[in-house]
Amino acid sequence: MELFHNLVFGFGVAFSLQNLAYCFVGVALGTLIGVLPGVGPLVTIAMLFPITFHLPAVPAIIMLAGIFYGAQYGGSTTSILVNLPGETASAVTCIDGYQMARQGRAGPALATAALASFFAGCVGTLLIALAGPTLGEWALKFGAAEYTSLMLMALVASAVMTQGDAVKGLALVVLGLLVGVVGVDVNSGMARYSFGFPELVDGIGFTVVAVGLFAVAEIVANLESREAREVYAGKVTGLMPTARDIRDAAWPTVRGTALGACFGVLPGTGPALSSFATYMLEKKLARDPSRFGRGAIEGVAAPEAANNAAAQTAFIPMLTLGIPASPIMALMLAALTLQGIAAGPQVMLDKPDLFWGLVASMWIGNLLLVVLNLPLVGLWVKLLAVPYRWLFPSIILFCCIGNYSVSNNPFDLYLCAIIGVLGYVLVKLECEPAPLLLGYVLGPLLEENLRRALLIARGDPTVFFTRPISLAFMIAAVLIFVVMVVPARATRRRT
Amino acid sequence: MQNSPIMRFLALALLACAAPSALAQAPYPVKPIRFLVGFPPGGSNDIVARAIAPKLSEYLGQQVVVDNRGGANTAIATQLMVNSPPDGYTILMNAPGHTTNPALIKLGFDSINDFAFITLLGKAPNLLVVHPSFPPKSVQELIALSKKRPGDVNYGSSGIGTSVHLSAELFQYMSGIKWTHIAYRGGGPGLVALLSGEVSLYFGNFPTVIRQARAGRLRALAATGLKRSAAAPDIPTVAESGVPGYEVSTWWGLSAPAKTPPAILARLHKETVSALNSPDVRSRLEELGAEIIASSPAQYADFIRRDMAKWAKVIKAAGIKSR
Amino acid sequence: MKPDLRNNRDFIAGLLFIVLGGLAVVLARDYPLGSTMRMGPGYFPTVLGGILILFGVTVLLRGVRSGDQVKGVWGWKPLALIALSIVLFGFLLDRVGMIPATVVTLFAAAAAGREFRFKEVLLLAVVMSAFCVAVFSYGLKLPYPLIGGYY
Repeated sequence: MELFHNLVFGFGVAFSLQNLAYCFVGVALGTLIGVLPGVGPLVTIAMLFPITFHLPAVPAIIMLAGIFYGAQYGGSTTSILVNLPGETASAVTCIDGYQMARQGRAGPALATAALASFFAGCVGTLLIALAGPTLGEWALKFGAAEYTSLMLMALVASAVMTQGDAVKGLALVVLGLLVGVVGVDVNSGMARYSFGFPELVDGIGFTVVAVGLFAVAEIVANLESREAREVYAGKVTGLMPTARDIRDAAWPTVRGTALGACFGVLPGTGPALSSFATYMLEKKLARDPSRFGRGAIEGVAAPEAANNAAAQTAFIPMLTLGIPASPIMALMLAALTLQGIAAGPQVMLDKPDLFWGLVASMWIGNLLLVVLNLPLVGLWVKLLAVPYRWLFPSIILFCCIGNYSVSNNPFDLYLCAIIGVLGYVLVKLECEPAPLLLGYVLGPLLEENLRRALLIARGDPTVFFTRPISLAFMIAAVLIFVVMVVPARATRRRT
Repeated sequence: MQNSPIMRFLALALLACAAPSALAQAPYPVKPIRFLVGFPPGGSNDIVARAIAPKLSEYLGQQVVVDNRGGANTAIATQLMVNSPPDGYTILMNAPGHTTNPALIKLGFDSINDFAFITLLGKAPNLLVVHPSFPPKSVQELIALSKKRPGDVNYGSSGIGTSVHLSAELFQYMSGIKWTHIAYRGGGPGLVALLSGEVSLYFGNFPTVIRQARAGRLRALAATGLKRSAAAPDIPTVAESGVPGYEVSTWWGLSAPAKTPPAILARLHKETVSALNSPDVRSRLEELGAEIIASSPAQYADFIRRDMAKWAKVIKAAGIKSR
Repeated sequence: MKPDLRNNRDFIAGLLFIVLGGLAVVLARDYPLGSTMRMGPGYFPTVLGGILILFGVTVLLRGVRSGDQVKGVWGWKPLALIALSIVLFGFLLDRVGMIPATVVTLFAAAAAGREFRFKEVLLLAVVMSAFCVAVFSYGLKLPYPLIGGYY
């Protein structure tokens, strides 16, 4: 069977000492920077760019790839430990992961995140091997109308995300949508809500928003009263997930992987949307949705599986079609180009050692990540025992450095402080940050694609219903709305 | 007498007094140099900078550190450089935004007089590519079709005010036709839109688009440079295909604050040109489809002036709104 | 009723939404609206602002009816100090270098805590500075000035 031969060949390439070493360096470095907020794979890959000149193509791309998906692993660590999303996609993991940590269950949370990610990584690499080009082609069928319907569906479903009050939750989503509006409007070139600051012309960065809303707000909330509040439960109940945990997390992991794999391929969406989507799905499917937001393990397993699956399948458009679906992929593409390799439909045939070697090493990388991260769980949990008065200034410091590293501009820090104030106020008013973040991520995509779809269709709104994929999402949106509203009426949703 | 402590002390004191003026003619550079780039990592701008920086570091003897300050189409990085001390330790990678921004947004600096232009590093053409299902097979056929159905043809861009967008505006302006503009956030989404057929035509950056064209997923109609590109000599230029005088290029240049000492500027110029001509940098830039120019400072300044004037006219005629 | 309202959770939340929504609409006045089928840059923000105001009114009225209070106290001092520490870092990094900025930020942030033990904070500052220099400047080669203008 050809696939088998290709995989064997790939493993042969990946198991060379040099490639193994670079794979290890990549994932280790990726994990480290994933833990730090703001300092993301983009900055790191850019920094290591010149090194790739001196390396042959295969180890170079193996290392860069390792950094990318390794960062997704690392991102969940701080999300769980200190409510600080290291990566965009890890923001969802904060919701339940941090609560688990506060209940003394940081160990199982971290371990589950690692295992779920490993499962997703294996499936992801298998998908690339089996169906890479096909999936790539599928991604090309998504036009403006499809993205609009998808975003609409996600927004409708977002009411599910809110813990308590649906009206407040929706208001927060709308507020998030408005925060996303800040910046240049793609369709007209006009800078909106920029108040004359050139830094705002490109919008408010994710790191700024996430750090402010999640980390800063949480820290101030912990400090607000004069008496000492036990931030983390004194008793740590075991480092590994229990049998019950594994049973609960199993299906969410599978579903998360599936969603993540699909969304990862779509240019412009990727890990963040995947993790939000699975969280909403799992909450809807759970027998007892009220557990979500209070430390439900499904709320960690599903998003982590989703974002790692998405991180793997994100390579598909780049490898098989030569399309830079995100800035990180653009850098990788550039690294390949500068080596004289044309990524695209031919690469599987022209440079099989690159393609299959990369696929095999991605699997190895995922294995290495689990091997690296599981033993570290004990270490991380010990970190939580550090007195809070030492912990929180350090967190703030890392937030500052992380934020600054994104665009080297002090303005981002000033903005972060302001958003932190807003975040604290929201926490006091019992408004959760997650719906706001969702609105902020989805908003630009929704508006941009809605206007674009109408522009292409010359103002004809039926386009959302005549294109099959778009129609499917619209129907789903309506169904979700009905399903949400009907039982709510029956049981009178109360705060 | 020479070894008496007093004489030694006096000698040292004299040396100390001479030191400041000696430092003024001190060897340059003595500390790392900040290389400002106006885009986040990943874009062609950043890649060119990173392709040159290591070699430049080698020739100058000090680290040239790429500092990404993305935002407002290079305006933020540019403002930063203008505000830096003119001591030769801050240089900037200029991009087409430099000559188009003045007509589009309010800037906090004078785009000509606040700068010491060092050299025009290189240029690369854009490629006019179309989706295979789109009928025209040449520029002539394209113009004919566009005249028959004004506003019907959708073209994509990587954003308003980018070279991709303005290439198309210049084309419409010079051939008297009208297309409908569909803007995307960056080159990646723009390219995806073209590949999926959502838009029919696109003036893409050379390196990303040429691969797709060679693979048959897109049809390349023409290149936007004045001469045919060495990397693709079989593709005619727009100018020779029916729009005489048409020229748009992506370009990269190096500049420093206006009051930087001439000796330092000369040194920067010399080392940059050497770096550009070194075989490995040359081959990397050529992979990106760039034609290396390495002009003199005067030629670069002249280029900036002409380019600014040209785009001011086109932008006004196209009615592109300022921010 | 008055002291009730001043700490009334949903009343304040509703008010916040109304104010923000109102701001959004007012600021968007300068952007062309366009029509529903051909939206201008002002359309989306205006509609969103309007919806936010509506939600705000709903939440506000509900707050008045239920009278639920904000739990706990408002931590203005820690909030101000933490925000200040972040601002200071941004302000100082480019001007005096990462190490001084780190030290100042740590002290400012630590001051927001319940206990402030000078020696401990100093030790923390030293350890953290060393760690940051090692990881960020040497490990990741991020181009931040360490002290003054020196790298």
